[in-house]
Amino acid sequence: MILRIARHEWRRLSSGLALWLLLAFTQLVIAWLTFAQLEAFADVAPQLKATQAALGATDLVVMPTFNSLLLILLLVTPLLAMGSIAGEAHAARLAVWLASPLSSAHIAAGKILGLWLALLPLIASASVTLGALGMGIALDPVRFVLAVGAMLLCAVWLASLSVWLSSLFDHPAAALAASYGVLLFLWLLDSLSSGDAPWRPWALLPHVESMLRGLLRSQDVVYFITTAAAAWLLTVYRLDRRRGVL
Amino acid sequence: MNPMLQVRGVSHGTRTRRRLQAIDFDLMPGERLGLLGVNGAGKSTLLQLLAGVTKPDEGEIRVMGERFDNATARARIGYLPQRLPLYGELTVTENLAWAAMLHGLHNGTAHAAIDRALQMVALGDVRHRLAGRLSAGMAQRLALAQALVHQPQILILDEPTAGLDPLQTEQLRELLATLDSAISLVLATHLLDDVQQLCSRVLLLDGGHKRSEHIVAEGTDLLAHLRGSASPPTGANPA
Repeated sequence: MILRIARHEWRRLSSGLALWLLLAFTQLVIAWLTFAQLEAFADVAPQLKATQAALGATDLVVMPTFNSLLLILLLVTPLLAMGSIAGEAHAARLAVWLASPLSSAHIAAGKILGLWLALLPLIASASVTLGALGMGIALDPVRFVLAVGAMLLCAVWLASLSVWLSSLFDHPAAALAASYGVLLFLWLLDSLSSGDAPWRPWALLPHVESMLRGLLRSQDVVYFITTAAAAWLLTVYRLDRRRGVL
Repeated sequence: MNPMLQVRGVSHGTRTRRRLQAIDFDLMPGERLGLLGVNGAGKSTLLQLLAGVTKPDEGEIRVMGERFDNATARARIGYLPQRLPLYGELTVTENLAWAAMLHGLHNGTAHAAIDRALQMVALGDVRHRLAGRLSAGMAQRLALAQALVHQPQILILDEPTAGLDPLQTEQLRELLATLDSAISLVLATHLLDDVQQLCSRVLLLDGGHKRSEHIVAEGTDLLAHLRGSASPPTGANPA
């Protein structure tokens, strides 16, 4: 049932113009950034070769561009997620969802999975663009795969949090504003806090950056999965509250 | 004969602002029940409770003897809210596929159910048209088809003729009048003609209270009942 809800969500998103405009925008920005980074890399490549530095195209072109892709995903996801539940409530369709025999857990999971599926073309197009560089210059395949994995995990995290925030409101614009507020706060939390600040583990960037550096740490995977699971549970709780179950 | 719906002591809302207060009634198989009242009388709130969108704060609603916690009870109900629950960016068929999916119908079963529902509301010719491009009357019929796609035994309609022109209203009333007589119907409206033409019994609601209940027959003066049941305006002299 979760897959069917996800498929419906994907169909809803792909039938509108927003997803395709955002995909075009993402592709444009990623292509421009890739060429800009590549040009800068071409300028310093002779010096790097002369000094036998360990830095290559993976460090100077691919990873910074994946870092930018993360910021794009952070900006794009709330735009797609605002319709997930707040949009349904605003358009009076949520009542029909809630009156159906579907459990809140299935609805929430299907909505999150559907949004994640909608983010996949954005990640795939950027990955193909960056992966195409491998035809001309040497890339580290392990780090590349790890970076794509980091983007996929981030997309789960973003989709879960955005759907939960969408469930708190009856108007998509309010959900959008709240999502930007919370996600940008979590994005900026790293630069706002010192190394030993107690809330630093909640910051997004340290978890992504370690994966982009080629480190697969269990604490990062646990961070993404537990946060996404918590957001799913909070969405279920919110839907059950609307149903008057709790 | 066991009732399709049993509503017992249903109240909803905070203690300081009750939207519904101690509502009791039964809906019998095949019965057409109208809920009549002015805006704010509590009709839509009562329908949401009957459809299982939310639970009453007090009292109990049973569907053929079962509570709403049971998915089977929810599957017996078709619900059409006042604002049409359509995806404008999806086609007529996709909108029906969504409604079928909500009730666990898929693949061949869903296709058959969608064809049947389209035939019932006479929208087969526009099945590939986007819902956002339908006329008001067609959109209303599509929403009705969504509520009927899983062949519910109880149909709950919230002001189904609101916003329609007289011709569309008449077409929709004819369509509702031709529904399977086994389907029990609860219809909220503030139009006396809706009740007169579609219902066999009417509950008059006012300020969240059930004021009275009447059998609808030819010549029944609903307006007089409505006037009689309405609470006097604040400050009015009862004498």
